[in-house]
Amino acid sequence: MIRLENVTKAYKGNVVALRDVSADIQKGEFVFLVGASGSGKSTFIRLLLKEERPNSGRIWVAGKEIAHLSNWKVPYLRRNIGCVFQDFKLLPNKTVYENVAFALEVIGRPKHVVESQVPQILDLVGLAKKHDNLPNELSGGEQQRVSIARAFVNRPLILLADEPTGNLDPSTSEGIMRLLDRINRTGTTVVMATHDRSVVDAMRRRVIELDRGTLVRDQVRGVYGAYT
Amino acid sequence: MAIKLDYVARETFHNLKRNFLMTSAAVLTVAVSLALVGGALLLKRGVDKATLQWRGGVELSIFMKPDSSATESDAVERELRAMPEVKRIKYVSQQAAHREFQEMFKNSPDFQESLTVDQMPPSYRVVPQQAEQVELIGERFKARAGVEEVVYAKDQIKALLKFTRILQLMLWAVALVLLLAASMLILNTIRMAIFARRREVAVMKLVGATNWFIRIPFMFEGLFQGIAGAAAAFGVVWILRNFAQHAVRNVELFRQFAVSTTDVASTGVFLVFVGAMVGAVGSAFAVTRFLDV
Repeated sequence: MIRLENVTKAYKGNVVALRDVSADIQKGEFVFLVGASGSGKSTFIRLLLKEERPNSGRIWVAGKEIAHLSNWKVPYLRRNIGCVFQDFKLLPNKTVYENVAFALEVIGRPKHVVESQVPQILDLVGLAKKHDNLPNELSGGEQQRVSIARAFVNRPLILLADEPTGNLDPSTSEGIMRLLDRINRTGTTVVMATHDRSVVDAMRRRVIELDRGTLVRDQVRGVYGAYT
Repeated sequence: MAIKLDYVARETFHNLKRNFLMTSAAVLTVAVSLALVGGALLLKRGVDKATLQWRGGVELSIFMKPDSSATESDAVERELRAMPEVKRIKYVSQQAAHREFQEMFKNSPDFQESLTVDQMPPSYRVVPQQAEQVELIGERFKARAGVEEVVYAKDQIKALLKFTRILQLMLWAVALVLLLAASMLILNTIRMAIFARRREVAVMKLVGATNWFIRIPFMFEGLFQGIAGAAAAFGVVWILRNFAQHAVRNVELFRQFAVSTTDVASTGVFLVFVGAMVGAVGSAFAVTRFLDV
């Protein structure tokens, strides 16, 4: 589903974000990407979305080598990938319902599909009663649920989450993790970048650890700080 | 890739409503800038009109010798009538010239009696098709048999032509500069409005919207703002023109500047066209800055 082969990414001024990273993530896996701030987790995720290009190495996402993807095809790549962020990235002037419906409208789904899918997914994330609220009327955990609903509503093959629990308290984080776990059980590959130790330790899933851009650990049922 | 019309319509309408302040700013900017452009354009039309009338009033006089024969003056008249450059001619007989002379000097009876009808030169008053042709026509008849003198206001005509040409050029330049400034101002306002919504654009990209899908609602917004602003500008220009024309309706000099309703309407169409283009194309360019993959 996702494969990186000797990927190196350096930003201007010779800041190396990723150094010769190789990884292979199968369909349906749940992978934690751990490491301190600046270890390259976010770059890892941005590369998969083709928001950045690697300096060297090759990347495959959903069966396609993305370096060979022309610019106008990038939107179609992103339709296979749901994204969740620490800061939610909801549209502040659209309601909960509209924020989720937006993801379907953007990819040209017909009206009846939007009208049946959106309530269903809002039900799944436990926000059935908050359809008409604006994001700023919700708690952080609820906002993150909306953003997960938006990421998952078109049933992507892959869900990328960049510090999804970074702004949330432990009990709210637990709820979010249960939701991501549930999505993973439908067959969706989940890659989650985090430095939330308790979350990683509780889930006991595959852990890929980055340290200043270098992959230092890839463990099948890992915890956050095995060797550190 | 099908972009649904109801999506575009809804998105455009909602965004216009939700970004009411930015929308108003853009519409107002378009209105003010284009009203200035429209004003300059109409002023130029007015000068064109007035120039046409001034130049239409330019004429020359060919004075025959008082003792010239009928054959000689017939020859001059025939030649004048045959010339395409001549618009119309008027023959002033010795009697008519004498009457004019009497009228002109009616306060000095001594002088009045100094000339008899026989001594008055008959003349042809010639109006050319174009003011510039006065000299051409005049030169041709200077040496004709029976012609005493050809009189025209050479320097005045030249000065008038030069002045109106410069005035027209200046008004063109002013309109052009205003148009450019208006375009920049409108573009900048649109860019600011879109900059305020770059987050929204980023989210659209994230969920897999194609660039045109993002761009088109913005273009329709720009189109709407441009047309609304231009329409307001047109209204302002229209009212000001009626007001100005009404105010100067009894002043002979200014009446020549009067522009017709057709002129105002065509200027209005031009303004709306410019508004729509700058709005739509400007938005498309402005949003492209935030679309880089």
